[in-house]
Amino acid sequence: MTDDLESKLRDALRPAAPSEDFDRRLLARLTAAQSEPVMRRGRFASRTTWWFSAAMAATVILAVGVQHHRAVEENREKGLEARRQVMQALRVTNDKLDLAYRAVREQSSMSGGNPGA
Amino acid sequence: MTMHKSFRWIFALALLPALSLAANPRLVLPEFTALAGKASDSVTITLDAPMLSLAARFLDPSDPDQAAAEDAIKGLQGIVVRSYTFDQDGVYKPSDLDGVRSQLTAPGWSRLVETRSQKDHANVEIYLMTDANKAVGLAVIASEPRQLTIVNIIGSIDLEKLHKLEGRFGVPKLDMGAAKSPAANNAGRGPGSH
Repeated sequence: MTDDLESKLRDALRPAAPSEDFDRRLLARLTAAQSEPVMRRGRFASRTTWWFSAAMAATVILAVGVQHHRAVEENREKGLEARRQVMQALRVTNDKLDLAYRAVREQSSMSGGNPGA
Repeated sequence: MTMHKSFRWIFALALLPALSLAANPRLVLPEFTALAGKASDSVTITLDAPMLSLAARFLDPSDPDQAAAEDAIKGLQGIVVRSYTFDQDGVYKPSDLDGVRSQLTAPGWSRLVETRSQKDHANVEIYLMTDANKAVGLAVIASEPRQLTIVNIIGSIDLEKLHKLEGRFGVPKLDMGAAKSPAANNAGRGPGSH
């Protein structure tokens, strides 16, 4: 059994001379293998670079846009808050000036004066 | 002798910041932390020149109130408001205002109006700082039983514009001319010219 296996292996691994067209077939296969993938790879690489550049540009444009929008929005919120504060400050000031005015009128009416309103 | 001279120079130089502070229309208002803690409502507004110019860009000129406000804040460098409303009388002491009043005794400030209303139990003092016959600072201290308000307006104040502003915000017109005379007499100090 073992001898049989050994002989089979020896037969199989016995050096054999290549066929006559082996060189030609090998060269042809090598040439085809070299040229085709390079072309495919080149096309793939350029397409990837294009998509990567486009994605990068889109990301940068989006980031700048978002940042600008955020700055505009922030400025608008600050402006509206400043406006609210100005209006409130002037309202408080007027309220107190009115208080002074009423007191002056009160004093004038007590002393018989007639301040213009 | 040389020592004396240098000492005089040092003394004069040391006085310079104090003098510039004395002529400052911007009051240094205390934090009033204790009062703010006791107040049921408080208003703290501090607007500097950049904030005022930013606000001016957002004021709507088609709105009469906002148009008047826009006109009034032109030339101003700051508005500071501190107002505290309390739920009961007598929460604050008159001495709480000592720090503010002491600044208003500095050169340049003059009391324009001081009123005491029997009806409202309110005391309002209006101070004006003038420089070369131009109003450059205004301070209002209103002490009411349940409210204390301090207003400080810094910049070239056009009293005419302020006058125009009165009558808006639902407030009747204030006759500055009428208000000045009796109060100036009460104050016992010369009214600020404007």
